[in-house]
Order: sequence, then structure tokens, then C-alpha cells
Amino acid sequence: MGQIVCSQCSKRVATIHVTEIIGGDKKEIHLCEDCAKKKKLLFPASASVVDLSDVLSSIIQAAGEMESDELHKAVCPDCGITFAEFRANGRFGCSRDYEVFRKGIDPLLERIHGTTEHRGKKANGPASKRHADRLAELRADLKKAVADEQYERAARIRDQIYTLKKEQGDAAN
Amino acid sequence: MRLTDLVQQPGEWLRGTGADSDIVISSRIRLARNIAGYPFVTRLQPDQQAELAHTLSENLIAGDLIPDAHYFGLKGARDIERRLLVERHLISKEHEDAELERGVVIQATEAVSIMINEEDHLRIQGLRSGFELDEAWATLNAVDTGLGESVPYAYSERLGFLTACPTNVGTGLRASVMLHLPALEMAKQIEKVFHAVAKINLAVRGLYGEGTQASGNFYQISNQITLGKTEEEIITETKAVIPEIVENERKARDFLVTRNRQQIEDRVWRAYGMLRSARIISSGETIALLSHLRLGVHLGVLPGLDIGAVNQLFVRTLPAHLQILEGRELEPQTRDVARAAYIRKCLGEI
Repeated sequence: MGQIVCSQCSKRVATIHVTEIIGGDKKEIHLCEDCAKKKKLLFPASASVVDLSDVLSSIIQAAGEMESDELHKAVCPDCGITFAEFRANGRFGCSRDYEVFRKGIDPLLERIHGTTEHRGKKANGPASKRHADRLAELRADLKKAVADEQYERAARIRDQIYTLKKEQGDAAN
Repeated sequence: MRLTDLVQQPGEWLRGTGADSDIVISSRIRLARNIAGYPFVTRLQPDQQAELAHTLSENLIAGDLIPDAHYFGLKGARDIERRLLVERHLISKEHEDAELERGVVIQATEAVSIMINEEDHLRIQGLRSGFELDEAWATLNAVDTGLGESVPYAYSERLGFLTACPTNVGTGLRASVMLHLPALEMAKQIEKVFHAVAKINLAVRGLYGEGTQASGNFYQISNQITLGKTEEEIITETKAVIPEIVENERKARDFLVTRNRQQIEDRVWRAYGMLRSARIISSGETIALLSHLRLGVHLGVLPGLDIGAVNQLFVRTLPAHLQILEGRELEPQTRDVARAAYIRKCLGEI
């Protein structure tokens, strides 16, 4: 077989061959490496390296198409992010989001990891003991914040206490 | 210990020792952890950022959890010091941005480093020279367990360790192995490796992690799945692909030496000649030429050249290292001149 010239630049030898099927139409495109790179067709071959964040955002977006309006508007009472915000930047605001948005997150975890069940190492010691120490600390902080009339800080600590208690409840279930 | 002192020591990942160290540069494991009762990093208030940085660093450097550990706050650090840490793989590129109250705990040997307030409250990293993932895990697991006794991790029985990004939830573990694959690249076989690796849910990245280009024929192979498997399973699966890649690289090297001896010798000696005579050289060109040099030493083409010294040059010619070694800040152009002079000094001028 003779060498095919790149259909984009008509100069270099085509080394990338793409078959595009849109509707019933089949179209063959032959590109050199440079032009393929410009078209972002080299994936994950050559020197380009898979960018996980790109892959993640495409997974998250694909999942989003199946979600209800109700889920999109759901707000985490702790950190205040909405599910739509999570979908936009791929990061949670706090650990409670995993439960608050569970309907949307579980299918996402299935896609990424193929499961929603942890089988690895457990946090050491009973969760209740770890939580108890932190709770005592937070309660003392809250008392101090109220005494100092730092109400914004007090409100935040109150929310933290709530989260912690919630986590404790989840762990016990 | 001062941050700038780091330039004087070999650094764990470029020591050039350990199993298969002619091809496997280093093995790294990191764990993502968050602290219960605090929002994730993007939602932390400034006083909470400071509080966490303080509490966590105190817990980490106290006792004998990590022998000879030191804490460095990044907010007050100079740009060049933060860059130095990135160049030495002690912090990520993301962590270099010092808008937040963040820091890093570093073991003096550089085998363990812990980023505080990166994407997660804690990114605990263990680094070993050569193909030693199990050893890296043993160290890291002990640090993680020890720390977990004094700070409450955000954890759920169902989903495991809870992380800011759903790609890390569960074990929070990423195991990666950095490989030097110049012969596979020359033989144009590198894409086959990528395809084989992608099929089994592992990722390939460049020298400096996620989203970076591969340079100097260095590649990192790492797991993507963090949930639903035990830590040991993840490590075993990541490890499993390495011997085959190493074997293929060895075969490609043998082929080069037996069938293309003159070409490979020419390439290696030219690289050596360029490095010993250049007057202006960028860090990109340096890495590419050092990659040939490294191959040359392992193929026996360049006898008498110490592999440790070659490995050191990879990191010491990077911008922050070079400027610290020179003891002054340099504009990019003068930096290229200083780099060329430094390399000539190390390798001996022609």
C-alpha cells in the first residue's frame, strides 16, 4: 500500500486513520501526527498523557444528563453546595455531601469504580471514640465563641457538631 | 533543617537504588485523608485552614510517628522554595499555589511527605527509589494508622475514607511507579504499552503528575480505582503490569545494542558531547539529553560515568534547584547559561 498524504495539511504522511460514522454516512479521514494533535485526536497515544480530570468531567457530565431537576437543586445543609455546583467542578464541599447527594453520587461511583462498597482499611478504633473526642473539643470551642460573642464562628461550630453527630449516626447504622 | 538544604542531598526518588532501578525510577504511594467535623479544603474558612494546618502538623511531627520530620508552612515561603518542593516531588503543582494556609511535613530523608490542605486535608505520600511499592506501603500504612489514633478521619463504613473528589474515595490510595522507557520510545513501541495499561484501568502520566507531558521518556503508571478493593489488591494490580513493561524495555534495549549498536552509541555520545560543551541550554533539552545519557550508562556505552551523578543532574538542573545552587535569582536566559556551565562543571568540560 502506498503512503497516504494527510488530508488536512496535504504535506506530511498520514499515520492516523479515523473512520467517522455520522447517521448512515461513513467518512474516512487520514491525518499526520501534527494535524491529529491539533484536532486532539491523539488519545492516549504518543507523547500526550491521559488527563484524569478531563476523563472525570466527561463522566460527571454524562451522568448529569440522567438526573432530575430536584437532585440538581438539592443543597447540603452543612457546606451549602448544591448538586449542580458539584457537577460543575467535580469537588465536594464536605463529607456529608456523599449522603445528601447519594442519589446522584452512587451511580457516579458505580461508573468510576464499578462499586459503592469500601473493602479496604477501616478507620482505626470505634468511630464513636474518635468522634467523642472531637465533639468534646467542638463543644468547648462553641462555649468560648458564644462567651466571646463571636456568633458567626459559633454558628459554624454548631454546624460542625451537627455533621459529626450525623456521621456518628451513619457509622452506627 | 532549611528547605534550601534539600538541594544538597540526593533525594529519595533519584537515588538510583532498589530493584530494577535501571528502568524503575521510583515507587510512590499516597493516601488522601480528611478530618471529621471540618468542611473540605475549598470550603474551609481562613481561621479553620490555619487551625487545621497547626493541629495536623503538630500531630505529625510529635513523637516518633515519622522520625526526623519537619513542618514548612507554604504561605510564608518564597516562590523558589515552593518550586523546589515541586521539583523534588515533595508537593504537587496544585499545592504550590499558596493562596491558602497550607504546608508540608517532610521527613529529612524525603521518604515520607505530607501535604496539608491540598485538595484534601491530608495527602500522605511515601516514596522509594526503585520498584518497591510494598516497602513504600508498609511505611505509609504505619504513619496513617498512627495518625488515625490521634485525629478523627472523615470516614463512612459504606464508602470508606471520604475525599473531596469522588475519584479518590474508599481507600484514598494511589500507587504509582515511575519508569524510564527510552528504548521502547525509540522503537516506537510506547503506544502499545499505553494501550495495554489503559485496558486494565491504570493511568499513564508524565513526570510531574496529572495532566503533565511526558518528558525525558519518563512515565508514571498508577491505579485509577480506589473503591471496592483492599489496599493490597490495588498495589498488587498496579505492580502486576510493571515486570512486563520492564521486560519489554530490556528487550528493546538488547535489540538496540545488538542490531543498532552504532546508532545508539552515536546518540549517547552526541548527547554526552552536547552536555559537556553547550553554552546555553534549556531544562527541556537537558532532560532529553540526560535521558540518552542515562540509557548509555545502563547499556555500558558510557563506562565510568556514575549513574547517581547523572540522576542528580536531572533534578539539580531544574530552575529552582539551579538558582538555589547558584545562590541567586536568575532570569530564564541567564539561567540557561548558568545551567550549561553547571553541567560542564559536573560532567567535565571537553
